[in-house]
Amino acid sequence: MAKLEASDTVVLGISLDSPAANAAFAEKIGVTFPLLSDMDKEVLTAYGILKPYDVKGSKFKWAERTTIVVDKEGKIRHVEQGDSAVDPNSAVSVCTGLHKPHGQ
Amino acid sequence: MNRIVTAITSLFLLLVLAGQFSAAAQEEAIAKTNLKVGDIAPDFTLTSNKWEKVKLSDFRGKKNVVLAFYVLAFTGG
Repeated sequence: MAKLEASDTVVLGISLDSPAANAAFAEKIGVTFPLLSDMDKEVLTAYGILKPYDVKGSKFKWAERTTIVVDKEGKIRHVEQGDSAVDPNSAVSVCTGLHKPHGQ
Repeated sequence: MNRIVTAITSLFLLLVLAGQFSAAAQEEAIAKTNLKVGDIAPDFTLTSNKWEKVKLSDFRGKKNVVLAFYVLAFTGG
């Protein structure tokens, strides 16, 4: 995370948990970046990353694990989905690359 | 007559099966984002764990943003 902050980058966690659940979660895992609530699933729907889950026969639609890097112009520079998206290293290297001045 | 009934029944079964397959394909498609590198990230405003509004476009011109979507709080990832 220090690497990311050094590269002029903020991290936003997003899920459909409530702000209260996210507050407890943030405290538990000690994150300093904001955890955002998409309880209406508006963003998850707009980004097309709702995934059907089946937990003991109960069906839900939750977020697929996804990491998206957005640059300072609001453009998407990196998209990673699935279990590999849990590992932040590739997102970190994209951001470190964005930080470098052009031509290096 | 029997033949016609068999034909109609098989046709019906085929249609039902095809319907199920396409429904499964649609469900599958839900999880895949249509967003590509180079697209403008759709803007949003969401409430943070500190009850503050956070708007994606507020970072424009200032910071790169890593959006980390996770399944649920209190689960591994």
